Amino acid sequence: MPSRDRPRALYGLALICLCLAGCQARSVWLFHPHGAVAAAEFHYTVIDFAIMILIVGPLLVATALIIVRYRKGRNARYDPHFKKSRVLEALMWGVPIATVGVLTYFSYQAVYLADPYDPTAIPRSLAEKSRPPPTAGRTSHFAAYPRSNGTVRHGPQVDVNVITTDWQWVFIYPRTGITTVDRLVVPVDTPVHFRLTSATVVNDFLIPELVGEIDIMPGMRTKLAMIASRPGNYRGYSANFSGGGFSWMGFTTTVVSRRAYRAWTRKAARAPDRMTYAAFDKIAKPTINLAEKPMYFSRTQKGLFDHVIRRVLTGRVYETPLRMTENMTKPLYVKVLH
Amino acid sequence: MFVHLQGSWNPIYGRLSLHEIPFKTQIIQGAFFFVVLTALAVLTAITYYKKWRYLWEEWLTSLDHKKIGVMYIVLGLVMLFRGFIDAVMIRSQQVMAIGPHSAGYLGALHGYLPPYHFDQIYSSHGTIMILFAITPILTGLMAIMVPLQIGARDLAFPYLNALTFYLTAAGAALVMVSLFVGDFSHAGWVGLIPLTELPYSPDVGTDYWMWAVQLSGIGSTLSSVNLIATIIKMRAPGMGWNEVPIFTWTALSTSVIGVTAFPVLSAALFMLAADRYLGTHFFTASFGGDLMFYTDLFWIWGHPEVYFVVLPAFGIISEVIPTFSEKALFGYTSMAVAALAIAGLSWMVWLHHFFTMGAGPGVNLFYGAATMLVGVPTGVKAFNWALTLYRGRLRFDAPMLWCLGAYALLLIGGLSGIMLAMPAVDYSVHNSAFLIAHFHSFMLLITFAAIAGYQFWFPKVFGFYLDDGAGRKAFWFFSAGTLAVFGSLYALGFMGMTRRLDYIPFVQWRPPLIAAEVGIFFYCVASYYLVRQLYVGLRDRKTRPAGADPWATTRSLEWLTWSPVPAYNYPVLPVVHGRDEWAWRREHEYVDRVPDHYFDIVMPKNTSVPLLLGALSFGLGFGLVWRIWWLCAVTIAGILLVVIIRSFDNHTEHTLSAALVAKLDGGEGGLPDAPGSVNPYPSPMPVPFFAKTGAVSRCADRVASTLREGVVAPGPLGKGARR
Ligand code: HEM
Ligand SMILES: [Cu+2]
Repeated sequence: MPSRDRPRALYGLALICLCLAGCQARSVWLFHPHGAVAAAEFHYTVIDFAIMILIVGPLLVATALIIVRYRKGRNARYDPHFKKSRVLEALMWGVPIATVGVLTYFSYQAVYLADPYDPTAIPRSLAEKSRPPPTAGRTSHFAAYPRSNGTVRHGPQVDVNVITTDWQWVFIYPRTGITTVDRLVVPVDTPVHFRLTSATVVNDFLIPELVGEIDIMPGMRTKLAMIASRPGNYRGYSANFSGGGFSWMGFTTTVVSRRAYRAWTRKAARAPDRMTYAAFDKIAKPTINLAEKPMYFSRTQKGLFDHVIRRVLTGRVYETPLRMTENMTKPLYVKVLH
Repeated sequence: MFVHLQGSWNPIYGRLSLHEIPFKTQIIQGAFFFVVLTALAVLTAITYYKKWRYLWEEWLTSLDHKKIGVMYIVLGLVMLFRGFIDAVMIRSQQVMAIGPHSAGYLGALHGYLPPYHFDQIYSSHGTIMILFAITPILTGLMAIMVPLQIGARDLAFPYLNALTFYLTAAGAALVMVSLFVGDFSHAGWVGLIPLTELPYSPDVGTDYWMWAVQLSGIGSTLSSVNLIATIIKMRAPGMGWNEVPIFTWTALSTSVIGVTAFPVLSAALFMLAADRYLGTHFFTASFGGDLMFYTDLFWIWGHPEVYFVVLPAFGIISEVIPTFSEKALFGYTSMAVAALAIAGLSWMVWLHHFFTMGAGPGVNLFYGAATMLVGVPTGVKAFNWALTLYRGRLRFDAPMLWCLGAYALLLIGGLSGIMLAMPAVDYSVHNSAFLIAHFHSFMLLITFAAIAGYQFWFPKVFGFYLDDGAGRKAFWFFSAGTLAVFGSLYALGFMGMTRRLDYIPFVQWRPPLIAAEVGIFFYCVASYYLVRQLYVGLRDRKTRPAGADPWATTRSLEWLTWSPVPAYNYPVLPVVHGRDEWAWRREHEYVDRVPDHYFDIVMPKNTSVPLLLGALSFGLGFGLVWRIWWLCAVTIAGILLVVIIRSFDNHTEHTLSAALVAKLDGGEGGLPDAPGSVNPYPSPMPVPFFAKTGAVSRCADRVASTLREGVVAPGPLGKGARR
């Protein structure tokens, strides 16, 4: 698996001052989102943390001061009967409840902005891109909650159907008939709409820098949408444990310019192998794709995604053999792709 | 057979064969020799010192709630040790297996644990720590302290108490056996569905997990019933709801959760068992099964469960902080209300464990808000503790330090919990190291509090002090370890690291992983000091006896009786006058009161039936795991038979005569009461705790006793060592 190379010095620094160095380092993926959805999620992470630290921080400091001050033998004021106070008790219930109120309001904004099925962060960011924002910087938090304005439907968009197997990712581009394994290629600044299902067990789709998680469940279909704001390679993987090959269940997301994307599509559509249910069935056998070697197929069978769901609903399972990953160096049962 | 099994099966051995015993795996060999050697050493020691009889009569068959409590705690500590070893292995694997160029040993491509072993280890780590370490330790503390705190002679159902202990022990034994015979589940402590279904977990690991959890779950349900009955029905005269000590309040609240939530888990596990054994389709993806149904059921238990373990911890903190602040707990009513509110709210939030399942924004928003609401009573507790410290006279004995550590962890864990409660935030860190750090903040809060409780009440139960210095050193190292390990995991969460990784694909995650490994080293040092603390305490027990009130500023009722606590807890049941009875008596200078009358005390006889039932349940579990049907049939028949036979036994109690109680209690002013008066709280006990045996006569019938109205009930005279 290709690793992202970072200057060695950074490791040492991070070791010494983990937090500070960590926040600076681009390797803290969640702090450096490259897509509107991930950015919205990060934004509200910061707000949530800021509000909470407003309460927790002073409380911690106050407690520390109390501990220092009222240590026995320091002859600070001792009042054994200080055990009740209407005002303080009203405050200690009231303040947290009010905080929950505020936080709920922000949750309410965020839950629509980052809604996996229809994240309004995407049309928002597109709208902001197409016309200069009235006030530079971001919009007020107290604006009416953002509503989907339909931009998604009109502009260019890419649809991808995702099927997880034990332990690979199958990406189907229904419009072009391309199917890729363990490699996702999408154009920049273009909404990508996923439909996801699993042929075996539950997985979670996650590309930390681009979009948060959504469950991928066998026999069911979930949806997710994302948009990438910068070309590059981004790591994606499953966040929900799915068996022996789970640690190696990653894929690379390559974000390219729209032009390069068209070129890639043309090239990939000429891949010699056809993707049919029979071909899928073979891929779905338990396989650990150690080196994440991508595969490309063209002329994908129509409705393959729905067909896989139907087959799972009617009892198709891909049994994992007993003790499959007990000895990884001489894999007896498991197919390992190097 | 209703289902297709991989591997062989025969009617005698079921799925079991020699092949299932992993001789060839070096690590398991090591563990095996360690266990065998330890067991041999213990058995030899018991035989050498001729303690078998003592062990059998004084502990294994005892129905004394304090002894059962101690056994609960010992079981919890043994499992804590096992869980800790698992943790060390997980951290070491993760620090070794970073990047494609890391070396591999023992059949692993990277590190030293191939996924097959690693996955079992983290699953057993979670299962053990939550259900077989923390839970027994807390249940043990509650079993010991609740009757003492409310002035009862025992729990409402002493026999049931022993039974629940042995059910838990049977579950723990199943988990331990899985190490050497067969394998353990790989699907996490939560039993990820449909990974736990037969096609994806064809071996017996899931069955071990399922039946072990089932047994301990039944144990927890029943022990909750026991505690609720005790707290509602057996409070000492004068103890209204306003005088109930706060630890007992949390015990009540926890038990309400226990009795309502655990049956849900049992039901879910039985359905899973049906899937795996009978080929039904409750939770499969196919044929109309619904896997989210399992996830729902699991978390409908699972979230209340996390509060089930945290509430007693809150209770302990609320007892320790006032003692070492030398003042009453601030906001008693708020605290009690908060405990109950947590129990109530904890039912409304389970969906936050799967915000990412694709529910609509409205649903997620609702559960997010509900989750934040749970943070309110939790926050109230923190404010109350801070105000208890305020204007106190703080002493930093070891228990107090551990509680302050727990307090800090509460704030950190609460903060990250509220972050996770925002659905949009959760989308980015669900199932990540951040989540791991969140709940370990709370789990370690519980551990800190449990250690505080153990150190706080140890002198009460055993009559001598633990070593304070070692206890404090342990605290500092433990805190350093916690900071290093979970600080790193919080950071790793933001770096994108997910949980349950056997191999770490990205080298930029190495620095925090190394820091976490250093933390493990601190934990090891801390464990050394914890052992040393006990050792020094035991060594110097003659010279450091604890009086009735070993900390001199304790407050609640349990400090009124002798240390160590006699079998019957209170020679005469006390009458309660205030919220903190012992503090009340101290303030009003009533500490020197002794009983002027003693009464006959009825106590249950020892019985080996619970032990037998535990052993049979273990056999049943083992039979089910390996599908040895004859064994299941035999053990089920055995269980029924034992229960029926026991139900015909009418001589389950014996009486300590008033004269004997008077003698044991020092004899001052002790007079047998007039016969025929009725004891309103007949709570029976076996032989005295740690007192000389033989002093107890086993009489047949019970004689009742009562307390005289208006008389301040006695406390031991001058028996408290005042420091
Ligand atoms: C302030 C109160 C709390 C809040 C707001 C809170 C919030 C949350 C949330 C939202 C999650 C789900 C995260 C996810 O799966 O993505 C979670 C997970 C968890 N929490 Fe808490 N929590 C709180 C208190 C506690 C307490 C008191 C405990 C335990 C003693 C606890 C133990 C756990 C555990 C064990 C998990 C994860 C289980 C798993 O997936 O393996 N939490 N918490
Ligand atoms: Cu929860």
